[in-house]
Amino acid sequence: MAQAGDEWELSKENVQPLRQGRAMSTLQEVLTQQDSASHSAIQQKKQAFELELRFYTGDDPLDVWDRYIKWAEQAFPQGGKESILSPLLERAVKIFHQEQKYYGDLRYLNICLKFARFCTEPVDLYSYLHSQGIGILHAPLYITWAEEYEARGNYKKADSIFQDGIQRRVEPLDKLETHHKQFQARVSRQIFQKISDGDDAEDPEVIEPQRTSLVDLKTKGKNKVKAPINRVGDAVKSRGLGLVAPSAPPQQVPSRSCFAVFDENSGLPGIGGMPAASVQPWAALPPARAKENEQKAGTWNSRKPRNGHHSSSSEPPQSVPSFTPYVDEMAEQQTVTPCKINPAVSSVLSARKPGKEEDPLQRLQSNPQGKEEMVMYCKNKVYAGVEEFSLEEIRAEIYMAKIRKKREEDLQASALRRLEMERQIEEMEKKLKGGCVINEGTAAEQPVPSGEPFRIYCDDENQSPERGISNTQSTRNSEAEDPSAASLPSSEILLVNENKLGSMVQSFTIFDETCEAGPDIGSQNCMPPAKRLSLAPVSGTTIKQDAPLPDSLEDLEPLSEDAIVTGSDRNKTLFADPEDTCDFMRAAQLASTPFHKTKEELEQSGTPGLERMPLREKTPVCEESYRQVVGPKKLSPILEASQEDTRTSVSSVSSTSGSTSLSTTKTLIIQEKLDLVSGVYEQALEEASVIVGSSELQRSLLEALPELLSSEAIIRESGQIPVMKDQEEVQLGSESYHLKGEIFLGENSKMYLEAPADCDPRGVRVAIKLDMRPVPWDFYIVQQLKERLDVDFKDSFVEPSNCYLFQDGCITLYKDVGVLSVQDLLQDPEAVLQHVTILFAYNLLSLVEKLHTAEIVLGDLRPETLLLDVGIFDLSPSIEMNNCFKLLDFSHSMDLRLCPTVTARAFPIAQTEYGQQMITAQTSPYQVDLLGIANLVHLMIFKKPLQVQQNDCTWEIVQEVPTLWNGSLWNTFFSEILNSSHGSPVEVLKGLKEKLAGIFDLCFGEICSYLIELETRT
Amino acid sequence: MAAQVTKEGITLKGSAEIVSEFFYFGINSILYQRGIYPAETFTRAQKYGLTLLVSTDPDLKNYLNTVVEQLKDWLYKCQVQKLVVVITSIDNNEILERWQFDIECDKSVKDDSIVREKSPKVIQEEIRSVIRQITATVTFLPLLETACAFDLLIYTDKDSEVPEKWEESGPQFVSNSEEVRLRFFTTTIHKVNSMVAYKKIDC
Repeated sequence: MAQAGDEWELSKENVQPLRQGRAMSTLQEVLTQQDSASHSAIQQKKQAFELELRFYTGDDPLDVWDRYIKWAEQAFPQGGKESILSPLLERAVKIFHQEQKYYGDLRYLNICLKFARFCTEPVDLYSYLHSQGIGILHAPLYITWAEEYEARGNYKKADSIFQDGIQRRVEPLDKLETHHKQFQARVSRQIFQKISDGDDAEDPEVIEPQRTSLVDLKTKGKNKVKAPINRVGDAVKSRGLGLVAPSAPPQQVPSRSCFAVFDENSGLPGIGGMPAASVQPWAALPPARAKENEQKAGTWNSRKPRNGHHSSSSEPPQSVPSFTPYVDEMAEQQTVTPCKINPAVSSVLSARKPGKEEDPLQRLQSNPQGKEEMVMYCKNKVYAGVEEFSLEEIRAEIYMAKIRKKREEDLQASALRRLEMERQIEEMEKKLKGGCVINEGTAAEQPVPSGEPFRIYCDDENQSPERGISNTQSTRNSEAEDPSAASLPSSEILLVNENKLGSMVQSFTIFDETCEAGPDIGSQNCMPPAKRLSLAPVSGTTIKQDAPLPDSLEDLEPLSEDAIVTGSDRNKTLFADPEDTCDFMRAAQLASTPFHKTKEELEQSGTPGLERMPLREKTPVCEESYRQVVGPKKLSPILEASQEDTRTSVSSVSSTSGSTSLSTTKTLIIQEKLDLVSGVYEQALEEASVIVGSSELQRSLLEALPELLSSEAIIRESGQIPVMKDQEEVQLGSESYHLKGEIFLGENSKMYLEAPADCDPRGVRVAIKLDMRPVPWDFYIVQQLKERLDVDFKDSFVEPSNCYLFQDGCITLYKDVGVLSVQDLLQDPEAVLQHVTILFAYNLLSLVEKLHTAEIVLGDLRPETLLLDVGIFDLSPSIEMNNCFKLLDFSHSMDLRLCPTVTARAFPIAQTEYGQQMITAQTSPYQVDLLGIANLVHLMIFKKPLQVQQNDCTWEIVQEVPTLWNGSLWNTFFSEILNSSHGSPVEVLKGLKEKLAGIFDLCFGEICSYLIELETRT
Repeated sequence: MAAQVTKEGITLKGSAEIVSEFFYFGINSILYQRGIYPAETFTRAQKYGLTLLVSTDPDLKNYLNTVVEQLKDWLYKCQVQKLVVVITSIDNNEILERWQFDIECDKSVKDDSIVREKSPKVIQEEIRSVIRQITATVTFLPLLETACAFDLLIYTDKDSEVPEKWEESGPQFVSNSEEVRLRFFTTTIHKVNSMVAYKKIDC
């Protein structure tokens, strides 16, 4: 029987009628989708509304709610639990009930009125609205309010509501008046009917005895077993009784008493006058349902056990509740429910005891009001709608919004660009047609171009027609133009590729600076071949960015893998068990890092280097990185020279042939050298190369990022690095610094902590990091950290103010660093107390955590390079104790994003005693830093570097923690941090941090006093 | 069963009778369901296997009877195209609902001599489903909040004469309406399609 499209009829019983009707299309859609388990369309729409609620930015938030509610009405025809309408209405009413601007809004009134239909006591809500002045000038309030009273049989009040509305001249008045008239007609008709029927025609059904519902039937009487009859009062709304007093609440009348017929004529003296509609002050919204019995979840232990003796003093001071207990007019001293009288009603629905009855109220009153709670997450977003949103969803939405916005902007920009291009083309065509009628005269009208070349060609692009023409025609007739104009055509060509313009121009300048010859721009641009050349390296480097290891190198890999495997077998000190297959894995890893080509070449002494030359010639760019890797500085001075040559080859490809010949000589030198060195030396070299490897790797990685070098903070110096010695002055840029406190960071780098020549009284000084490699690695890492950590960056790191890049080294300058390093504290005999160690350990953990979230491994955690932040001395109460340090040295760090294949052994820690013990091929590079932390903390506690021993597969420290210290704490600390290979390093860091944070809070006072002392001492 | 076959044929006259009877009960149902007349003035009547409510208001009864008689005549002549029940608000004469019954007449049937084979039971079943649907429309129709009046429009062929007390009128459409098609029934001579139009909600 059922036809398609008849769903509405089939489920007509399940569709709640709506005052305004239903849209058939929606109804059908909803009802057909009902069967399919997930009404995805509805869910999607709902989700869309929920999102809109949270991310609405306009000035009319009610609008979203209004649409949402209207939609929900239509989309959930069945109502009931599945429908979100009721909570939605409640939420909407609550959100806006303090927004004065919506009080006169009909939409808000309608929402409130809809909500009232879900309330058990809608009259409360109406009178609340009335007292608050919400919608008091709209007729619907009075109409629904009066209807409610009418439905309850309280005609007097209903009438007075109508009167009130008419007095206020509400909108639309005629509607209200019609309703009023109809109401009066109904009432008079009923009265008339009642009088004509006579009083004795009381509802016959009411007189019949009724059983109370939900009561078990206990037998009564001795002889005859008879089910009892409990008469209930007039539970049914007393409709059609004419002017009757407000119906009394359902009340149980003892079965024996006779039915009291209410005499309307006598009237009640109390209910004479106007209703006290606006008298009642409302502090809060009336509840939708009687919610007293819904106990909120709360803490268990905060409440005292009931059995204990109640001493009033121990009770918390009761604050005034925020709500007004609403006393019903009819509720006259009904403290004891009459239910007690009837013994039959006992087991099923027992009456609440009066003492118990006070409980919810008490609970509400004892609710701590003054407690200030600050929500530290976007609570309003999470709970804005009916559904709870997870933070991730919110974040995702924000992200998506950004993406959408960006896409829109992109589209707009590209549209603009296209327009611009079209306009330009049109212009050019016009000019071509018009010939050279317009000439310099128009250009003269325009503002004078500023000195920058960029400005010049921007202006010229639009205004100097002649050049445009000459360019587009590409005739390049070398007419007598002045030199400055000669450079313009080339830049105009660049402007066409708008996107790449910036980077190209930049690459120009870099290129010019590195080029020692220093060709003047004008002449270079004049020559078309030179221009084409300058573009070539740019394209080459973009390829390298994508793949740091060029493909052509892979051709050589199988060979090198072989070599490494055999090599590792020989090296017993580095490899614990050579039979292990993981050696192969490691070998594969190593093979992918360019460094190992060195080894390969070192060992394959027999292979003539010339064989591979043709290959290199084909891919000059790859060759460069390759060659740089090959040449560790300490090998020979000739290699240094070749490096320099390499760098010139970056700038121009034309020198490729020259560099190939050089590299040939270099390989030959290595071969010669290899012939000389003994096996022992070879092994030592290999070992060292593991360390050197990291620095070489750094350089090759940076080589792949030419845009870093173009950063403004890097200052290129043409000469050699200035001689730097302790206790001497050095000139950097325009300032001179007095070097002091030399710190050796490795064979290639040093750090000086110095006060500037004019001594800064605030105890702030400058740190100069000297790196003997011309690689701004520190600078790069700091940049990366800044990018990846964003806000957190400032807490633990200092941005270098300058980075001087010399021919043979690099100097990084940090300004405004603290005076004290952790090393200073370690040397102070009294300083290192337990709480200080806790403080420092905590800070170390958070520091390393930050580095690791940025996917950077520090590699070498030293007390010397950890400087105490100046900020920790101002002990404001809000001080955060987790940012005590500023880290300055990144010489051995590695960016795992750039080079994910690096192994733990590449870091200097692997050379230490404990490092050799603990670091295996499987060790994650992140663990290196955990060991670093362990070492530092060990230093603080024992004044000795970390000493470990293995016990049952777990590592532990050799020494006992001093008796005065919290032994268990530090033992767990070390056992977790040393055995972190089982879990993820980040988890370990987090766990330890939490553990320490707990204790840390306890000794906060001591730390503060220590810091004060420290400050006075310095 | 075989004995009854002869009885189950249907003639033009019988068809007109059935259809006009349907309209009598159908209009009554609409008037009751939509609350045009007070519910007290209706009484229950058994028809089509359903309990239907029929007005007891003498004026209304009279009016409906004359309309139905006239309709029967037109149906017999196959001159009716549509019957429309228009519900208007008394206050501002706004048209709120429009029940339209399209009647398709088989004009090839000229007199009672032709007997179509269709069981009255089947027809009754079809009519029942239409009336049920009329009852079920409360699920989506808007509440008629004001007092309303109703009007009957009958579309006839151009050549049929306008009887006394009838006047020509416009179509009286609901402005900005949503239309819902209901079921149809057919006697094989007359086919009645039903449809209701109501004011679209603003959503």
